[in-house]
This record gives sequence, structure tokens and C-alpha cells, in this order.
Amino acid sequence: MGKQSIIPFGPQHPVLPEPIHLDLVIEDEKIVEAIPSIGFVHRGLEGLVKKKDFNEMTYVVERTCGICSFMHGMGYCEAVENVMNVEVPDRGKYLRTIWAEMSRIHSHLLWLGLLADAFGFESLFYQCWRMREKVLDLFELTTGGRCIFSVNKIGGVLKDIDAEMLQTMLSVFEEMETELKTIRKTFLFDYTVESRLKGVGVLTKEQAHNLGAAGPFARASGVKIDMRTRGYGAYPDLDFEPITSEIGDSFARCDVRINEIFQAIDLIRQMIGKMPSGEISAVVKGNPNGEYFMRVEQPRGEAIYYVKANGSKFLDRMRVRTPTFANLPGMLETLKGADLADVPLLILTIDPCISCTER
Amino acid sequence: MAKLMSFKNTVLKNLFSKPVTKNYPAEPAVYPKRSRGHIEINIEDCILCGICSMNCPSRAITVDRKAGTWTINRFDCVQCGYCTEKCPKKCLSIVPGYQEPMSMKASATYEKPVEEKKKFPQADTEVCVFCTLCAKKCPQGAITVDRAEKKWELNKDACVSCGLCESNCPKKCISMKEEN
Ligand code: SF4
Ligand code: SF4
Ligand code: SF4
Repeated sequence: MGKQSIIPFGPQHPVLPEPIHLDLVIEDEKIVEAIPSIGFVHRGLEGLVKKKDFNEMTYVVERTCGICSFMHGMGYCEAVENVMNVEVPDRGKYLRTIWAEMSRIHSHLLWLGLLADAFGFESLFYQCWRMREKVLDLFELTTGGRCIFSVNKIGGVLKDIDAEMLQTMLSVFEEMETELKTIRKTFLFDYTVESRLKGVGVLTKEQAHNLGAAGPFARASGVKIDMRTRGYGAYPDLDFEPITSEIGDSFARCDVRINEIFQAIDLIRQMIGKMPSGEISAVVKGNPNGEYFMRVEQPRGEAIYYVKANGSKFLDRMRVRTPTFANLPGMLETLKGADLADVPLLILTIDPCISCTER
Repeated sequence: MAKLMSFKNTVLKNLFSKPVTKNYPAEPAVYPKRSRGHIEINIEDCILCGICSMNCPSRAITVDRKAGTWTINRFDCVQCGYCTEKCPKKCLSIVPGYQEPMSMKASATYEKPVEEKKKFPQADTEVCVFCTLCAKKCPQGAITVDRAEKKWELNKDACVSCGLCESNCPKKCISMKEEN
């Protein structure tokens, strides 16, 4: 056995937009073990339920994260709606699901860019982010915000997307699909990309399952788990299959996420095709009383919202379990035996969102 | 070879196309109509009820009824738009145009032009069915309805004249009247 040393990694590191710290135990250039510490950006959002009433809380919850903000709001609202037995009108459900899928596209494009940046392909990074900008513009057109949308409310949504906007969306996504196909070639068939991703950080199906991995990270290892199949929002009306890969390395994670963008575009098309008319939100009366677990599929995986209400304006408890939290054990597993130079890349492959994790 | 040249088309396209970025500020940014830039108030319609300030998640609004002012700290406001939802007079709106950066947090104060006489709700107890809906809707808890005693009472000190009781009464027996 060679000499072991410990290298601190983070909380400030060029590849990390958010702070997480790892103590990397290395032997020569190989990682033997990684010991994480989190808690640098804890904000105590869950405690705020005691001070903000359950309607106001929607705006707090969606500020958990700047990328999945819409899905955070949606998950929380659906949890409270289930407690209150409120049925969201169909159009409201469709609008929510469209925005949710758009969030997935922009999150995955962001990740692809960061991945390209992590393996040193700067121009590919900018291509991805240029495309992401179009989705953000669509968000601004339909909701008024680029990252935080504030369109969710208990009972439905606050803004409608009219036919003209839907048409704009269709044409933007059409254009984007063509560009994305070109970019996909580079991600999946380029020699440089392959040499950085293939066979790096393999997580087997058993490991992924045992360590409780979620989302694309788990699906890339062959675990067919996708909360959308549970059927919330408009998903019961849509035709889709979770995208999986059997390989389980970093390349498979990239492959799964790229294909999920195409899937999301397809889902949006399906929804626009059969968009129901009518109300966008239901009237909500009274205060919630009861508890509920809501599970939604965010771009990074399954997020859980637990809500406990006591019949007053203020909830008793609110808890969010985010996908990054579930993926940390899996990530630590992939780090074992990896090269020190691959650490930034491997951390990225779970698409970490530390703000979400620490709420 | 294909594996080495996969980015070729993108490179060529970018070489011969215009930059995607704008020459800001020479070319100004265009915001869509729904863009949530800042909160605007139509102070003439505002009744200084304070419902916006009570509900604002970031507590950016302060309403001073005595001084007749409505103040917003634009740097605390997170543009959620909840105040526009909550305002009973619908005098708040969220419009395009972001707050310009400043070296310190600044707030904007609006003064209510003319101080009218305050209006208070009065229930016509002949028509009233004592359903207690007004009491439930009152944001200030200013109304007490006793169904058994057939009593409708108002705490004038707590009432902020928002008129929600008037608009929510199923019997339309409440009217907002000026104090004599
Ligand atoms: S809620 Fe509306 S009417 Fe009441 S103080 Fe605020 S702006 Fe004025
Ligand atoms: S938009 Fe939101 S944060 Fe801003 S003043 Fe209104 S309620 Fe407060
Ligand atoms: S006007 Fe009516 S609802 Fe508004 S504060 Fe006064 S009593 Fe309450």
C-alpha cells in the first residue's frame, strides 16, 4: 500500500458553482475515499412555514433553487392541494407540466454546458448555453421571469399561455431540435469527449439501487425509476417511456440527459397538441388539514415534499428531500478508485445542486 | 475522422454568422410584456389597507396609515407578484423595467394625495343572515358576528376599510359608508 494523503476539495472550486467540501483520501493519483461535508448554504427554508402562511410559502419554496424553481413550487402546491382535496383544472395541469418540461430542458442544457466546461471543451459549453438562452426567453415571454417564475399557486397557475405563445414555443423548439441534433453528435461521437467520459465513474445497477440514487444518475445505471410515470400533472395523458442506459458510466449519464431533452421537447409538443381549454386554477377555500407526501421528477431526479397541516393558516411541517441529497452516496461511490483529475467531472455527473440539498 | 471533426459544422456556422449577443447598452434590451421588472402602484386607488405589506413574503412594503404613505423597498422586493394578487383594490401591478443598481438599498415612498374621510362597513341587520362570511374574510378580524344573538359588530380601530367584507357578503347587505 502506498502512502496516503488527504487533499481538500472545495467548498470553493472552479468547477463548483455552489459550495460542497470533500476530503479526498488519495494514494498516488487514485482516490481511495471521499468524505463529504455539507451545510455551507443552509438557509432554513423549511422553518419558515411557521412564519409564512401556506399560500405565501409557495413563493418561498420556489426560491429553494434557481434551476428547478418551477418544479419546487409545483411539488409544494400539489402536496398542499392533495391535503385540501383540490382538483386542479386540466388546463392548469397542462400548463404546469409544460413549464416543468421546459425547466428540464433548460436544466439539462445548463448541465451539458457545465460538463463540456469540466472536460475543457469551452466552445461546446457556449453552444449549450446559447441554446438554453432560448428557453429562458420563452420563460420570460410566458411567465415574466427567467429563473424564478412565480406562476404557481395553490389550486393551479396564475398565468395562461395563449395560442400565439404556444405557436412561438413550437417554432423555437423546432429550431432548437435541429441545433441539438448537431450538438448531440459532438457529445456522443467525438473522440475527445469519449476519452474523457467513457468508462469513467461506473456505477452498477445494484450499487445505484442500493445507494438510493435518483433521476438520470440512476437511469444511466439501468434503474428504471421516473416519478413522472406515477402520473401527476398532465403525465397520465402523455406517451413516454423513461430513458435508461445499461452502461452506468459518465458517458451514459450524458447520453441519458441529452435524450431526455429530446423527450421533453416531444412531451411539450404532445401537450400543445391536445391542450384543453377552460379554467387555469380552482377556487381554494379554507385551510389545509392533514399530511401528504408528494413525489415529483425534477431534472436531477425525484424530489419529495412532505407537508403536515393542522387546519390553521400556518403549516406544522414542510420538508423537502432533493435529488442531489439522494445522489451524494452514489457520487462518493463513483469517486472511489477514480483519478484525481476526474474528480470535478464525477461531481458534475450527478448534476449537483447544493442549494437544493441544503434548503 | 468523423470522430475528430464532429464539431466542424458548428464551427463553420459560427464563423460566418453574427454574434448571438447584443451590443448592450448601444442596442437596448427588449422585455416581453409579462416581464416582472418592478411593482407599480396607482396610489389614487390605494386605500392604505396594508394587506399588501402583511402578505409580502419579503416584507418589502410598509404602509403608514397615519402619515398616508405607501413605501416599497425595491431592493427587498423579489418580484413575486403576491401583493398584486392580494390587493383588494387591484391598484398594484408588476411591469417591465428593472430597478437600477445603487450603492445602497433605497425605497420609494408614495403619498396618498387627498386624505378622504375613512369609510367603514355597515351591515343592514334586517337583510343580514349572520352567515359570518364577512368576519371570516376580514383580514383584520375586525368583525364579530354572533348568530345566536343576531349581532353584527365592527371594531373600528382594527378596520382598514378594505371593503372585502362588502364584496364577499352573499346578501349584499354591507355597504361602505363615510364616518359622520
Ligand atoms: S393592498 Fe392595495 S389598497 Fe391595500 S395598501 Fe396595499 S396597495 Fe393599497
Ligand atoms: S412583488 Fe412580492 S416581494 Fe415585491 S412587494 Fe409584492 S409581494 Fe412583496
Ligand atoms: S372593510 Fe370590512 S373586511 Fe376590510 S378591514 Fe374593515 S371590516 Fe374588515
